[in-house]
Amino acid sequence: MSSYGTTRHAPSPAGAASNKERVTDYHTTLFRRLTWEGTVPLEIRVDPKELPANSDRGLECYYIQAPRVSYLPLLMPEIRRFLMDVVFDDAAAKVLKEDDWWFESAEGTLLKWHWPIGLIYDNHTISTSVRPSSSQLQTTPSPMRLILHLASPPTEKLLQSPSAEACKLSFMGQLKEADFLRWGSTKRMTALRQADQDGLWEGIRDHNFDHYWRVASKVTPTAGAARPQSPVPSATASLHTRPPSADPAGQPERDGAYNVRSVPVRIYLPDGPVLQDLVPPLLEDGSPNTLAHFLTTHIPLLFPPQPHPPNSTHRHPNNSASHGSELAYALIQGVRSPPEAEMAWLGACMAGADGWLNVCIGICS
Amino acid sequence: MAHTTTTSPDPHTRTLPWGASQPSENFAEAIKALDTYKQRDPSKVIVRFKAVGNAPIMKQNFYKITSSNRFQAVIQFLRKELGWQAGEPLFTYVNLAFSPAPDDTVSNLFKSFATDGHLIVNYSTTAAWG
Repeated sequence: MSSYGTTRHAPSPAGAASNKERVTDYHTTLFRRLTWEGTVPLEIRVDPKELPANSDRGLECYYIQAPRVSYLPLLMPEIRRFLMDVVFDDAAAKVLKEDDWWFESAEGTLLKWHWPIGLIYDNHTISTSVRPSSSQLQTTPSPMRLILHLASPPTEKLLQSPSAEACKLSFMGQLKEADFLRWGSTKRMTALRQADQDGLWEGIRDHNFDHYWRVASKVTPTAGAARPQSPVPSATASLHTRPPSADPAGQPERDGAYNVRSVPVRIYLPDGPVLQDLVPPLLEDGSPNTLAHFLTTHIPLLFPPQPHPPNSTHRHPNNSASHGSELAYALIQGVRSPPEAEMAWLGACMAGADGWLNVCIGICS
Repeated sequence: MAHTTTTSPDPHTRTLPWGASQPSENFAEAIKALDTYKQRDPSKVIVRFKAVGNAPIMKQNFYKITSSNRFQAVIQFLRKELGWQAGEPLFTYVNLAFSPAPDDTVSNLFKSFATDGHLIVNYSTTAAWG
């Protein structure tokens, strides 16, 4: 048996793909489920300067464990109910307009309505990593502190209205952009019936894995099947990473993650910018594009080229590039990800519900 | 009294006995690298506007736009060129296929979606591929 593999090892030596067709293999479902069930702790506090008169102070803080794949507008009904029931009095509740509400991080970063909550959280984590005095000694995960403002939203910076409807439109746009990157057209997305398209969003709103994936599996590539047709040239490297028994012999699957034109990926650096480019699943020599190769290609100053193939699991004893001298790390869905992870696999199993693989770069202290 | 703050060293340079909060050389190098990546790309790319449906046609279709601009800036530019009033609906798409996020940069979109050296932006007065 393979260990908790993050590469696309089939669970059985025979290879799951040859006899299962479109049935999603065990590992793919497992990691999609783990991604889907991921939650982050949030502390939501109304800006004390904006609390209406007669508010019940001391209760103006709300804690929530929010799904990573969800969005702030989808949390609003719950937050609103709490504030109206417990904190504000009737007079204030009448005057307050939810359309004017907006969020900042405790550090003063504007939080965008259309970013997945997991991305907001990870982006906050990496921003914290560049401030050496703060929180490096933290041992337990602590809630991200959000400030809820009740008036004067900076509309031109938020870019989107706080409505769930605007958020849904933006989400569909992201799904289509991801579809276009993978296949060169949005045929898969536009072929979905309206009810199915709505079903994707309802799956997120209700945090229902089966509901979402019933539709999403029609547009997301399969992870387990495809295999580069040409043999990997470097024999020593390939011996370490891919036991021959794990490779199904057949043709690469048409909808396979290793057959897409480009994996939809964005790199988030602490306090910006966001980088996006074409990310082929396979390199020119036919070997899989790994996270290490991807990072070295796009941000070499933070991930300098390694003296030997980065996808080799064997570390030379004299290699100075040991764990301690790394400059930065990659956070995907809150998990520090191993450099040998393959981009195609990550795109199929660790992407958010909008189809995008968000790679947040933190700085090692 | 103020004696605690005057004698306490700056938290940024404070050295713990186990050396945990000492910013390393690596950390400084990484921060320098981040500063490099934060620099705005001054280069420009060609954006080609194409009207869809009954949207008005522009006098000029090709524009050079600074690639570090956000897509939001492209939308605002387009609205201005068309003389669109605030609140008048205008829908924008790339490659007749999808609406990009307004905070994505022109540079990112160009790298991923350029056709024949142009980023094609379609605009419509009604939702077309939303």
